[in-house]
Amino acid sequence: MFRLLEESGFQRVRSAVVPGFQFRQTSTQNSAEAYGVKAVMMTAEKPG
Amino acid sequence: MTDSVEAQAELEGVLKDEIIRMYQDVADNPDGEFHFFHGRQAAEMFAYDARALDEAPEGAVASFAGVGNPHVRSNVQPGETVLDLGSGAGLDAIIAARSAGPTGKVIGVDLNPSMCLKAQAHAAATGSDMECHEGRMENVPLTDESVDVILSNGVINLSFQKRKVVEEMFRVLRPGGRISITDIVSAKQLSQSIVNDPKLWAA
Repeated sequence: MFRLLEESGFQRVRSAVVPGFQFRQTSTQNSAEAYGVKAVMMTAEKPG
Repeated sequence: MTDSVEAQAELEGVLKDEIIRMYQDVADNPDGEFHFFHGRQAAEMFAYDARALDEAPEGAVASFAGVGNPHVRSNVQPGETVLDLGSGAGLDAIIAARSAGPTGKVIGVDLNPSMCLKAQAHAAATGSDMECHEGRMENVPLTDESVDVILSNGVINLSFQKRKVVEEMFRVLRPGGRISITDIVSAKQLSQSIVNDPKLWAA
């Protein structure tokens, strides 16, 4: 996503991991961790 | 090649139906158990403003299925036009409307027309006039350079065409406009069995 935003012309692209995000079910959470799945916040601007 | 394109289109159609079914289920059965946290519990997990949650319609809060809090860095100002991409039952749009104020405007876009109606009803209950369009985030039904801020919470990951979604966000934003999105990303390529299973992909 970060790369896509930059390639599409956005500037000042920032990202941070969302603290506390997790799946409700343990099995889903375990699978998510195996794939490096995480929630992130991203901000960016369209050049003025 | 044609077979591949047709297969992709077919899978996307199935995925669209599965996404509508899953999030409609959350809205219709807010007390149900899902693999993700939802409702007020999820909103509190992501530090949503308690007063905003108290003042929002119960149905909008109960149906919340986001993965973070895009309002933390959205900095919506009075008079701004805000697009909530994948607006669901409307909680994020309602919160944005508080900041945009009566001179601002909040627009929702959602795959599911019944969710649009629900979001608009929830917004109306708070005194906000929310516009909501049935549509796909890969083809946003808005004109070029028509919004100041785009919010999105946990929906872009559902698209097979993320580049197209990002290009659409860029297109509808005014110069100097900004996005504040929270979403799920994966550090590893998902296995083909996940990609080809609409239920898993929608999850």
